[in-house]
Amino acid sequence: MDPIVAEGLRREYGPVTALDGLSLSVEAGELFGFLGPNGAGKTTTITILTGQLTPDAGTASVLGVDPVADPVAVRRGVGILPEQESPPSYMTPREYFSFVGTVRDLPDDAVAERTATWADRLGYAEKLDTLCTDLSRGQQQKVMITQAFLHRPELVFIDEPLVNLDPIMQERLKRFLGEYRSAGNTVFLSTHDIDVAEELCTRVGIVTGGELVATRSPADIEPGTSLLDVFLAEVGHRPEDENRGTPGEA
Amino acid sequence: MTGSTRAVLAAMVQEEWRLHSDLFGGRRFAAFPLFVAAVGAGTAWLLARTGTDASAVVGGTHVLAFLLGLQTGTVGFVGREAMRDLLGGLSLVLFSARTLPLSGRRLLALFLLKDAGYYAGLFMLPLSVALLPVIVAATLPLLWLSLTATFLLGLAATVTGIALTTRGRPGRLALLGCGLALGGAFASSLDPLAAVPYALYRDPSIGVAVRVVVPVVVLSVLGIALYDTEHVASARTSTNDYLAWRDRLGTDDAVFLKTLLDVHRSSGGVAKLLVSAGIVLAVGGFLVSLAGRITGVAPLPGIGFGAVLGLTAFSTYNWLTTFDDVDAYFRFPIDPAAVFRAKGRGFLLLGLPIAGACYLAGVLWEGTTLTDAAAGAVLLLGLQSYFFGLTVYLTGFDPNEFLFDVVLFATFTAGVAVALVPVLVVGFVAGELTLRLAGAVGVAGVVLGGVGIGLYRRAVPRWRERFRDA
Repeated sequence: MDPIVAEGLRREYGPVTALDGLSLSVEAGELFGFLGPNGAGKTTTITILTGQLTPDAGTASVLGVDPVADPVAVRRGVGILPEQESPPSYMTPREYFSFVGTVRDLPDDAVAERTATWADRLGYAEKLDTLCTDLSRGQQQKVMITQAFLHRPELVFIDEPLVNLDPIMQERLKRFLGEYRSAGNTVFLSTHDIDVAEELCTRVGIVTGGELVATRSPADIEPGTSLLDVFLAEVGHRPEDENRGTPGEA
Repeated sequence: MTGSTRAVLAAMVQEEWRLHSDLFGGRRFAAFPLFVAAVGAGTAWLLARTGTDASAVVGGTHVLAFLLGLQTGTVGFVGREAMRDLLGGLSLVLFSARTLPLSGRRLLALFLLKDAGYYAGLFMLPLSVALLPVIVAATLPLLWLSLTATFLLGLAATVTGIALTTRGRPGRLALLGCGLALGGAFASSLDPLAAVPYALYRDPSIGVAVRVVVPVVVLSVLGIALYDTEHVASARTSTNDYLAWRDRLGTDDAVFLKTLLDVHRSSGGVAKLLVSAGIVLAVGGFLVSLAGRITGVAPLPGIGFGAVLGLTAFSTYNWLTTFDDVDAYFRFPIDPAAVFRAKGRGFLLLGLPIAGACYLAGVLWEGTTLTDAAAGAVLLLGLQSYFFGLTVYLTGFDPNEFLFDVVLFATFTAGVAVALVPVLVVGFVAGELTLRLAGAVGVAGVVLGGVGIGLYRRAVPRWRERFRDA
């Protein structure tokens, strides 16, 4: 069974329809890019698939578990990197990873070893004992990336992982994600960055208006056409829209 | 006032309104001033009926205004990160100096000006109206003025204090010196009531007005002038206390350990819980002494303190949850029940011993019989459990926010009154404590404790559903 299967997910927030019957499936070993404009329903999809939110309608299965019926079991199996979330202010990164290790039943020595590996990989070893509230946004993002992978999950949901990282760290993380996927793990990557999706993903899904309107493999896109062209066409963006907001109109 | 200044001020006022109405119950927040006036008027009337001196009621309201000013002054300084911890993804116009051609100092001045107008209208005015049952109606404008000035004194004191701490060691030493000098002056001969805006209400004259308003203006200007807008606190480091505390306490409850670290490392440490409970203890002591004078019957200090100190359950739970972003727990395999359980453990570890210590101090200070002390102790435990359960049931993990939601607050107040009023009557009016009465109080304590546990248990599924449907 595919690690992620969703059928007809629907979710409303008052008068706003965030998801309107979204269906998708992601196979094991995929690095699936989830692309869409602002407010398309990307974050709502992730929160439903990880059992943080109950859909109004539809069904889902994540690693063979229904996230509505057993959300804790789903979150035990997956890693989650939310967009723009900070680690706890009054813990140091090292303490936070001990906290995560306890919650995820990891032995202390494994936590210590993986903490050192990730701090070295993302270049923040000297900040491991600094309170998170005193870290920069980029350093906090590195801490959040680490917690998502600390238990070596077979499936991760990551939302804009490269935000606030410098180009060197971005490259390191991209390389890691490629290796991680090659080892048979699955990545569900939500992003606005078409270039990142084109570079990293084995397949992308384009969501707009709460529906998955297309899936493409970057390798299969016709010559002379970019993923950006496909994206713009699928979300209903017209060429004449490009004339809006030119400097002369500001 | 320039156009841009007016625009910033208007945006800040609008922001404050939206912040309160969004956080604290939507449109219901509009009724909050009416609620303050109604509850305040009821309390003032009740105090007047029980023979409390009107000047004591007015003086107490000034203390309240001062404390509100002190607290309000901290909000603009906690910074983006702390604001995010407390209130979620939030950015204020106050923080616009990075992106707009506005100086941090000018923004701070406008922020304080906004607070002065906003709180004078929405909080001090209803508080003043609330005292109509005990004051001469013609003095209402004067009372409003002195309450507003008192609020501003608290606000300016906080601003100046925090501004000094941004000036490094010399600033902190100056702050300490000011505190010592003020304490020394009051301890020697200075009448504190003559130096604060309350004096204006007692003795309305130009001379007094100048004497009490000048410090407010001077403090405000000093605070704004001294505040270092580029101040960055040095990064704090620590060894892995999480593991050390886990081993010391012998528990794997990660949320519980995190909660302890949050309380310990946030401003004031564990002492802030003691201060909160200490204030309730002082109120209890005041009520015990007042009850004896009003009724002419010797109060029962054990039952009186047991009843009043039960309320510390609310403030303790508030401190245990203030530093959490609850949604963040739900990115992990953590069920809401586990978070509630961890907060309950924190309450047992910190809240009960502190309430117990305060109870012991109160009872020893007043002196009482063993029967009264025992009945009061059982009552204290029962009320702690009841108020904890009531708070958890009604507010989930946000006890702070519901204070401004009129319906929730009224429900909470009713829940408190149902349990508290009967036992307070026993404590302050019964006079003689027979074994039968002591037994009844003890049984009431046990029943309330049971109700509290029941409310706590019902809160877990209630809030689990709410979190997932939000």
